[in-house]
Amino acid sequence: MKNFFRKVSFGIGPNEQVPADPLKWALDQVNDVPELSWKGKIYSEKELRKHYRDYVYGDRKVLRIKYKDNKTLYKTHKNLLRHQTGQKFWESLEISIRHNECINSKHPVLAKLWMFWGNFFAISEKDYLANYSTGPYQREIIRPNLNQSFEKMVYDVTTSWAMIHHLDNSESAGPKSVTASDEWRRRKKEPATINENHARELLELHTVSPQAGYTQDDVIQLAYIMTGWQQRWSKKNLETGNVWFNSEYHQRGKKIVLGKEYKKGKKSLAVVIKDLVNHPNCRDFVADRLCRYLITDEPTKEMKQPIIDAFKKTDGHLPAIHKAAITVAFNYNKNYKKFQTPENWFIQIAKIADLEWPPSPENMASYELGTKPTRKQRLPEKILERLGHPPYRPKQPNGWSDYSDDWLSPELLIRRLVYADRSYAFTKPKNDNKEFYHKIISKNFDEPEKILDYVFKNMVHRKSERNVLLFNHPEFLKA
Amino acid sequence: MKINRRDFLKTTALTSMYFAGFGVPTFAKSSHKKNLVVIMLRGGMDGLCAVPIRGDKNFEKLRSKINLDRTLKLTADFDLHPALKTFKRLWDEDNGAIVHATNIPYTGRSHFDGQNLMETGGKIPYQVKTGWLGRGMKTAGLTGKGLALALPMPLLIRGVPMNNNYFPVGDRLPSNDTLKLINQAYKEHNEKMLGENLDTIMTRELRNTASDDSWVLASNAGQQLSKNNGPRVAVFEVDGFDTHAAQGATDGAHADCLSDYDRIVSGIKQAMSKESFDNTLIVTLTEFGRTIKQNSSNGTEHGYGSAVFLAGGLVKKAQIHTDWPGLKRKELFEGRDLNSTIDSRSIYASAMSTVFDVDFKKITKEVFWGENLQNLSDKLFKT
Repeated sequence: MKNFFRKVSFGIGPNEQVPADPLKWALDQVNDVPELSWKGKIYSEKELRKHYRDYVYGDRKVLRIKYKDNKTLYKTHKNLLRHQTGQKFWESLEISIRHNECINSKHPVLAKLWMFWGNFFAISEKDYLANYSTGPYQREIIRPNLNQSFEKMVYDVTTSWAMIHHLDNSESAGPKSVTASDEWRRRKKEPATINENHARELLELHTVSPQAGYTQDDVIQLAYIMTGWQQRWSKKNLETGNVWFNSEYHQRGKKIVLGKEYKKGKKSLAVVIKDLVNHPNCRDFVADRLCRYLITDEPTKEMKQPIIDAFKKTDGHLPAIHKAAITVAFNYNKNYKKFQTPENWFIQIAKIADLEWPPSPENMASYELGTKPTRKQRLPEKILERLGHPPYRPKQPNGWSDYSDDWLSPELLIRRLVYADRSYAFTKPKNDNKEFYHKIISKNFDEPEKILDYVFKNMVHRKSERNVLLFNHPEFLKA
Repeated sequence: MKINRRDFLKTTALTSMYFAGFGVPTFAKSSHKKNLVVIMLRGGMDGLCAVPIRGDKNFEKLRSKINLDRTLKLTADFDLHPALKTFKRLWDEDNGAIVHATNIPYTGRSHFDGQNLMETGGKIPYQVKTGWLGRGMKTAGLTGKGLALALPMPLLIRGVPMNNNYFPVGDRLPSNDTLKLINQAYKEHNEKMLGENLDTIMTRELRNTASDDSWVLASNAGQQLSKNNGPRVAVFEVDGFDTHAAQGATDGAHADCLSDYDRIVSGIKQAMSKESFDNTLIVTLTEFGRTIKQNSSNGTEHGYGSAVFLAGGLVKKAQIHTDWPGLKRKELFEGRDLNSTIDSRSIYASAMSTVFDVDFKKITKEVFWGENLQNLSDKLFKT
């Protein structure tokens, strides 16, 4: 049963009580979205986007021109610019804030769901977004919506700067729009065409999924509805201006998506999103993904149904959907154990073993813009990269996989062996004793004696190998 | 020169006649072990950027912002992207060939469905849980002979037990005694997959402390494939072909990805003995090609037909094998994409038949559910 605490959360820390009513304990955590519990400074998305702006502008408009004949000088100055804009630091800070929420907050269940939605609406590795913007996008767009409706979440995601940039919607111009007949287009031979990227992913990944059977024409028509939603471009800010609706880029006339007609104009995006999130395939898709994340690679119809019902009944109110998913996870807990992804696994180690993880707010606060971050300050980014699961760098817009087989390979297993070993380096001196291990194993395993014997009765070459044994035990790899 | 579909069919017909009578698969009795390398090009490789047609004014007009200003000449009708230097050298030695206007029979234009199908070889996304290469290896009895140069185990090669992968962590492993204890626990808990993976880790001879640079990976693969008892199959992945914006031309995003491919081929070749490279075939795989027309962000959208690169000593000769569909609007798929006139699974089935020495029909039956694929072995490979 105790695996439930890792299934929907990250396990029980050494100073926490094992909840007497696990289901209630979990359900109570998803009603509200409290302030983040990170004690250090948290930068706004706009502040970090400003650094992104300084980097792209400085590189493109200054250094490339100034050092166009000297590659070495260009490289040197570009490296300086990276540090001036904190390029090697923000991602680690964001991961620290994220992990702190999982490990030290009073609502780790909510944090686990935050991770789920951040990956559902993933921003993939592109144009330095992970270095500056993906973390704040997850904090400011995804997290505040965890107690709102799915519809609002989709709308906020779709019109967010990060997603618009990620999926190229600024590049999309209606062939029958005001800009289409601009003189410069004729002169520069750049006719107005749509960019389908964002529209396709809004259908495929963010709402109805291909199961809905939409056609290429539906994609095109949705792309027409989305024309005009773009970053406000300026000579000073380049592509880092706020998102706005540029009616000059908007395709004239009515559009038809999945058989329904939409008027021209700004408001149609909200209307079409409302219809997409109320499509039966959307509910099924969300239920399927939640079950896959928490319970099993192969969710059954029976598992999904309560989540679909909650979605329908509450018009997609996320706390209701989350509660239904948690309850299903609880009901199926005994017979379904899900192989944990590397990031989830690593956070569980840190929480259960009370590691010095993530780096402290004081340590992160000692970073000075313009300097190179210390090795310790860069650890969050580095470790997750080595584990094969850097959360803000999925390769493609469908995010990181929730299928167990995608996380099983000799090399991925090697990462777990190596980083379980390395986790020992983060052990607090006061915890480096058998009593401590006894305590944490008792709190997190149903048959603690068996696990204790395994970890302590066997000979190991180095103390750190006890962590290798414990955290690679089959019962710990799954939850 | 502007070519039309009929000209190409003529060439194809002549080639077929030349090989009449060689239809029955005959297996080479070569004593040397043969290797198959598959390089997956993720994101939708633009076959018309990699292997553009020569002298088609309409094509040049549609791609005015992304036309190549410098190319390598292949034939009277096709050029090669200048980033593909190693490939061109192989072509000049009759060790490189291209199949053009080809792809898997998938027209849905979704990356994720498309990549799933390019790896499974199926027709319904997410229905099949194994890859065509894994099933092919199983049919050929190649257990423990697969090596993926990637951190996860690609779906493509799943379906046969005991595959290995190499993407070095740059660190040493815990002691063997500890690994044995963990393996014991896996066995007690019936964790078959975990146990298999750990067995592989404990018995393999690969350096975990190396770097994961693509050149290092390719060199290692080349060395391993050259060993008589080494792997017979290697799989690589190149990401980033999804260039909706700023695709670039001679340089730029698509060119960089093509360079990555070229570097892998070069890395494999330099690490291999001549005899091993002579017995190796390197093929590419992508989920779809891209639209013929550039968009206003100087990129291209998801399309259909693309090209497949064949390299290595088992390539029959330098050639562009195609049933060219033409690029006039009415000849395009849905009026926008290069059509696919060859099911690329025919190439892969033929490649497996040639390299694994397994009857083509057996491959189509056991790997591709008896689908009607064309045996291209005699046309494309040294059989």
